[in-house]
Amino acid sequence: MRFHVDGWDPTYGSSVANAENGIGDSTAKVTPHLELAPADWKPISPSQVSAPGAVLFVDGVRRVEARIWIEQPPSAEPAIRPSNTARHALMALCASYAAGTVCCCPDRGAHLLTVDYRRGLFTTATNAADAPTTAGTYKAHITPDDQDQNLAVLLSTALQRQLTDLEVLVATHARTALTGHGVREDSDLLVVDGPLRGRTHLPRALGFIKSHRTAYLPPDLHAMIAALASSERTPVFLMGTSWDRHAWYLRLPCTPGAPWAGIVRLECAADIPVSEAIELANLSQALLPRYASIEYKDTRAPQNLVPVAGLERELRRRMGNPVLLSRALRVAAAG
Amino acid sequence: MTDTGSELPSVDGTVFGRAFAPAASWQPFAGSLTSGGAEDEVGKVAGTEACTPLKFHVALSSDAYLQLDDVVSTRRMIPGRGMIVTSGVVTDVVARHEGAAFGSDVFLIADGILPANVQEIAEVTTTRVDPECYVPPRPGEVAIRAAGIVRDAALYFDRMDARVPAGIGRDGEPIYLNLEFLDGTRGAHVSISGISGVATKTSFALFLMHSLFTSGALGARAVNAKALIFSVKGEDLLFIDKSNARLDDTLRAAYAQLGLPARPFVSAGFYAPPLPGDTTGRPHVTGRTSGVTAFWWTLAELCERELLPYVFADTEDEKNQYTIVVHQVTSRLRREAQAAGNDGAVVIDGTILRTWAEMVDFICAQVTDDVTRPGWAGPAIGLGTVNAFVRRLRSSQRSLTPLLRGDLSASTDRSGAHSIDTSQQQVTVVDLHNLPERAQRFVVGVVLAAETDRKEQAGPGGLLFTMVDELNKYAPREGSSPIKDVLLDIAERGRSLGIILIGAQQTASEVERRIVSNSSIKIVGRLDAAEAGRPEYGFLPPSQRQRATLARPGTMFVSQPEIPVPLAVEFPFPAWATRLSEVADPTFATPTAGQVTGSTTRPDPFSTLPQPENHPWPQDTDDGAIDEPPY
Repeated sequence: MRFHVDGWDPTYGSSVANAENGIGDSTAKVTPHLELAPADWKPISPSQVSAPGAVLFVDGVRRVEARIWIEQPPSAEPAIRPSNTARHALMALCASYAAGTVCCCPDRGAHLLTVDYRRGLFTTATNAADAPTTAGTYKAHITPDDQDQNLAVLLSTALQRQLTDLEVLVATHARTALTGHGVREDSDLLVVDGPLRGRTHLPRALGFIKSHRTAYLPPDLHAMIAALASSERTPVFLMGTSWDRHAWYLRLPCTPGAPWAGIVRLECAADIPVSEAIELANLSQALLPRYASIEYKDTRAPQNLVPVAGLERELRRRMGNPVLLSRALRVAAAG
Repeated sequence: MTDTGSELPSVDGTVFGRAFAPAASWQPFAGSLTSGGAEDEVGKVAGTEACTPLKFHVALSSDAYLQLDDVVSTRRMIPGRGMIVTSGVVTDVVARHEGAAFGSDVFLIADGILPANVQEIAEVTTTRVDPECYVPPRPGEVAIRAAGIVRDAALYFDRMDARVPAGIGRDGEPIYLNLEFLDGTRGAHVSISGISGVATKTSFALFLMHSLFTSGALGARAVNAKALIFSVKGEDLLFIDKSNARLDDTLRAAYAQLGLPARPFVSAGFYAPPLPGDTTGRPHVTGRTSGVTAFWWTLAELCERELLPYVFADTEDEKNQYTIVVHQVTSRLRREAQAAGNDGAVVIDGTILRTWAEMVDFICAQVTDDVTRPGWAGPAIGLGTVNAFVRRLRSSQRSLTPLLRGDLSASTDRSGAHSIDTSQQQVTVVDLHNLPERAQRFVVGVVLAAETDRKEQAGPGGLLFTMVDELNKYAPREGSSPIKDVLLDIAERGRSLGIILIGAQQTASEVERRIVSNSSIKIVGRLDAAEAGRPEYGFLPPSQRQRATLARPGTMFVSQPEIPVPLAVEFPFPAWATRLSEVADPTFATPTAGQVTGSTTRPDPFSTLPQPENHPWPQDTDDGAIDEPPY
């Protein structure tokens, strides 16, 4: 029996979600014949490209600091959720979330460009208000109750939405922070950790997807992904789900192993010419393997890029010490 | 990341903890340090390391630096007590990558792939808390590089009524010694340790004397302050009254910064042993041809002043029986010897003795003869004891013959010109390098004993700074000897007598403990690594012990009672010549008639060799070695 160990820490799941069932089929609309005709599809080797003046990596992190219960006024209508009615209280999440940018430029190396962090209180309770603590104020975000969905999932989604908004904001402002940086105008590349959704209007921006849930390509083309060698990519294709974008798969350098080891999907805006998308694909192919992480240093290697890992570590640090934050919340609750 | 810190948007008007506060918005406490001068903020007190009242850490701003020995000050407002200023000296600085977890991350960071921050943290050892309220500085407090009055306060210079410049600190500012710990008011004696060749012990001792005499710290007492220097390292110290040819404007500026004149010792006298085999009493020197006086003791003085015990200056002597014989013979000589003529010869029992050899023969004959033995060696003295005495006495013959004379006429000179006299000039240099070790001990012992006697009679009016090189030879840790007794006496009583011992040695661990412990000022140059670990250097913090093993020539660590941390100083290159080739004014070399024949300006055979640039001590030859005498 030959076997390979997945590079990712088991607590993160596999880089291929639903690994038990393989990658799920997709209903996405795929246009594969942009770069090569489907019959001619073959792995594309790296080509010579000129390096960008600066590479910007955008990412965000979130952390639930505490789960709190908001007392409901006695006159409130009988709550629908029986579990909460007994004590007239509704569950809420107090969370910190942060997003930031790392700039990798020739002059200053890798360094933090912008950091933004927020604290939020996510709840369905309509009487919720901002919660001030000694460690900052948790701004209330009231989500309409949805009886069909689990409350925890609902709140988590609300938190994720806020984080995504923050990431969009940070990504949008990343380039303004770059002025006066000695980087030639229009020579930078923005890499967003995660899908590019909501940010497709940004020029020279790439979405970087580490884990795969769905096979978007037709089965014969999909099979080719596993055959990619290190630093090779598939041809660019256009895919449309709820939104359209150009996409391609790329294998980052890693220990040869599982068929999908080191595979990432990259996305760029759909409304740019195909030639421009191919240019971006070539650029990503030449550029990103340099930033790939190493197995023993990162539990999500090689997909978790080194600058992004550093950024996440710094963002978590900037969100504050969880013990202190939790204590501040307890003090605020008691007061 | 510090550069982005100020761009960090404040989300809802509050920030989490101090650490998140943008640097610009943090306001130091109202008011400034007691001085009020312009402050040079270097960073903030770090909270990741434990802060104590006696040691704290400062995280440095990205554009600031602190080096070892820099003086740092921070303050804290205590409700009800007011502003507490805690000052200290940097004893260690650590720089590391924050955000790197693996050693190999440094390559990723250098490649511009992994974001990381270089952070330097300086360890500060507290020197002063003012007013005395021993609270730790709080993390986040501003730390400033102390300058001017703040620095003076941190190092207690503000409390010194009279201060003696000891050199330039690492921060480029002068470092002072408190005169009260040098002149006997509150302490006395200096101990200088360091390995030969690179520790520049003698040079520093001379610099210290120059500083004492010319800084004005002694005030009117400078007139009566004298120095006595025993030179064991060649003729290097015979030129200290001549300007150094290498004295340039840079060096003058260095002296001016310390408030000292860049000039040689104005009043210096030089003594050297007489030329062996010469009957005219010429000094045994080759480099300096004028102004050197020969010194010797006449046999009459030996008898009258009871100098014989100093002939037996071996360390284990005290354990032996023969010392009884020594004292018997000494007192017998004093009683019996009659001066004969004006050459210092003596007549004992009708025998005229003109040389040390004759006297040795005479004494040996007296103590071995059965008839005279009880009178000379004492009653009931065994033959073995007498033989031990004779053996030691005979072995001194060769070493001491040039120094103990009854055949040199003092009539041409003024009376007593052959004896060492410290009263006629400020600095007296006694050149011992041509003498064998036994004779060196004799000279040091006799001269110090004489000076102690003189001081006892004169009272503590003036000060005598006595520099003894290779102190471990005269006052070793083990055993006892007459010379060690004299030195111990000076160490313990000299403070009240006005005799200040400046002892230099390679290894303080080999010097009598009571002498080292009585020294208020302890100075260390470059140390051997094994030596630096010994308990005698316990006053050095670990980082300084390590540094002492790589201190450059010209760098010394100075410890004084008031300042809890030794300070590193650099002292300027001597303004006086330390060898013939450095003498600025060649006219001095004109020989007096009949003294020296041959060329007066001997070409230096090494003068054509290239001199290494930027080396402050290119010709340092302080090897501490004693040249073998040529006879």
